Amino acid sequence: MSSMQFGIFSVSDITQDPTTGRTPTEHERIKGWIAMAEKAEEVGLDVFAAGEHHNPPFFSSSPTTILGYIAARTERLILSTATTLITTNDPLKIAEDFAMLQHLSDGRVDLTLGRGNTGPVYPWFGKDIRDGIELAIEHYALLRKLWTEPVVNWSGKHRTPLTGYTSTPAPLDGVAPFVWHGSIRSPQIAEQAAYYGDGFFHNNIFWNKEHTERMVRLYRSRFAHYGHGEPEQAFVGLGGQIFMKSTEREAKERFRPFFDVAPVYGHGPSLEEFTEATPLTVGTPEQVIEKTLRFRDYVGDYQRQLFLVDHAGLPLQEVLEQIEVLGTEVVPVLRREFDSVRQAGVPDAPTHAARVVAARAAGTQLGEQGGAWSEQGARSDLDTGAAIARQGGDAA
Amino acid sequence: MTSPRIAVVSAGLGEPSSTKLLADRLRDATLRALAAHGQHTEAVDVVLRPLAQDIASHMVTHNPSEALAAAIREVVDAEAIIAVTPTFNMSYSGLFKSFFDVIEEGQLASIPTALGATGGSARHSMVMDTAMRPMFSYLKAQVVPTGVFAASEDWGSDSSLERRIEREGKELADLMVALPRRREADPFDESGEAFVSFEQMLGHA
Repeated sequence: MSSMQFGIFSVSDITQDPTTGRTPTEHERIKGWIAMAEKAEEVGLDVFAAGEHHNPPFFSSSPTTILGYIAARTERLILSTATTLITTNDPLKIAEDFAMLQHLSDGRVDLTLGRGNTGPVYPWFGKDIRDGIELAIEHYALLRKLWTEPVVNWSGKHRTPLTGYTSTPAPLDGVAPFVWHGSIRSPQIAEQAAYYGDGFFHNNIFWNKEHTERMVRLYRSRFAHYGHGEPEQAFVGLGGQIFMKSTEREAKERFRPFFDVAPVYGHGPSLEEFTEATPLTVGTPEQVIEKTLRFRDYVGDYQRQLFLVDHAGLPLQEVLEQIEVLGTEVVPVLRREFDSVRQAGVPDAPTHAARVVAARAAGTQLGEQGGAWSEQGARSDLDTGAAIARQGGDAA
Repeated sequence: MTSPRIAVVSAGLGEPSSTKLLADRLRDATLRALAAHGQHTEAVDVVLRPLAQDIASHMVTHNPSEALAAAIREVVDAEAIIAVTPTFNMSYSGLFKSFFDVIEEGQLASIPTALGATGGSARHSMVMDTAMRPMFSYLKAQVVPTGVFAASEDWGSDSSLERRIEREGKELADLMVALPRRREADPFDESGEAFVSFEQMLGHA
């Protein structure tokens, strides 16, 4: 694994192909994601990240199910999310689902937490959108406990209290999945990522780069403030959006009809205006390389670059071609070029194997025989009452 | 930043526009009144008509054009605003509303503000109190008591228009001197008062 990870992320929209009038079925799109992930691994990409939504026209309501399936069909690909809703999901289920995925994939999993941007999802899941930041803070604090403490006693404001809860399975090798925190413009989330020394991910898609720049700058500064290292040692991930053909003209001709009516930015500025103002690149692989290398100018050396390639109704064949070009023509150059300018001391992109080595060295590993909780000796029976009593005794 | 600035927002659609004309008069009256206070202030015109398409694009993409971003900066960085709209269907024009809709929430809190509106007849004059004031209350702007409504006939007859313009200009100048806007602290400034540390979020500090 090189110092940077490259991959694709998707929001899972089901959108009509405006050039043919055809709308794929849910089934086709779901199976299409599998084909995309397999292609991504085949052409040497590192990451496939799944969005999470709970309303049509999106299909990705159950990311760990689909990522588990992809895990079984791939060997190297890191399975991630973009994003996992830390606000409306129960942190218990996040802890369990991702630990399970970690075991099944032999550690090829990390996740990006986000608050979600669909208002009704909060009330649908029994939450209040005005509590968004508070939920992100409280739920994540609980998630960390569940991944690091064999028996959790906990009470908070937004969830029913826990007494004697053990999240199963324990994290693989006693090391929890790496966590990125995603936010477009909330300084509190950059601060949260920095506090824990976790990664910070900016989707870097719809907005001018100034938003990305100030979020990353704050995150890096606070990462150092909390004693995790120098600002340039923080973990930064970025999104981006591309469409490529062998000539710029061909790329624009082919992509324009999709762009013009795209669900998020269609019916707005022209393709030319949008590519000028945002990270979107529509052109040749060389143009994508050139623009992507410039991201470093405003965020510094970073660890992960994901591209959005499958939205706005682009047909699967077209998407697979994009992944092919990305993996064979673009990413090899990006790896080489980014590596050649990388400052000394910048950490590599996080992997499970490296994190296990680091945790072992730091003495923070919870156990390595594939059953961290029992190796902890904190709980060898299945009797919750006994475990609580024992913890109470420890505390006294 | 050089000298303090007043942003003069006008949403007239005609050329020439009586809305722009009213905005100019309110601007001049305010600058005269500020000069009487010994303050030299600049005014910058933010004319919305040429930004109409950019505003619509921003609404659907969250992505301001350079021209619109510059106009928004003029307004949120100003020490005061003068905002003038034509009356459409008993309210401000959609263009006027849309411009303020694409400004991020909280950016206009406490800004001294003078309102003006134009319309075909004085029967539309309640637009000031039924539409404009509620919106600026929501934005937490400080709005002066006088609001000048100019009907078509006001421009021709010997009306009280000039006197009302002078009064509103004085009120805005007085307010700028007595209660200048308080700048919201930048939440991205680690040493600023709006920054919330993680310890505070956890309730530990």
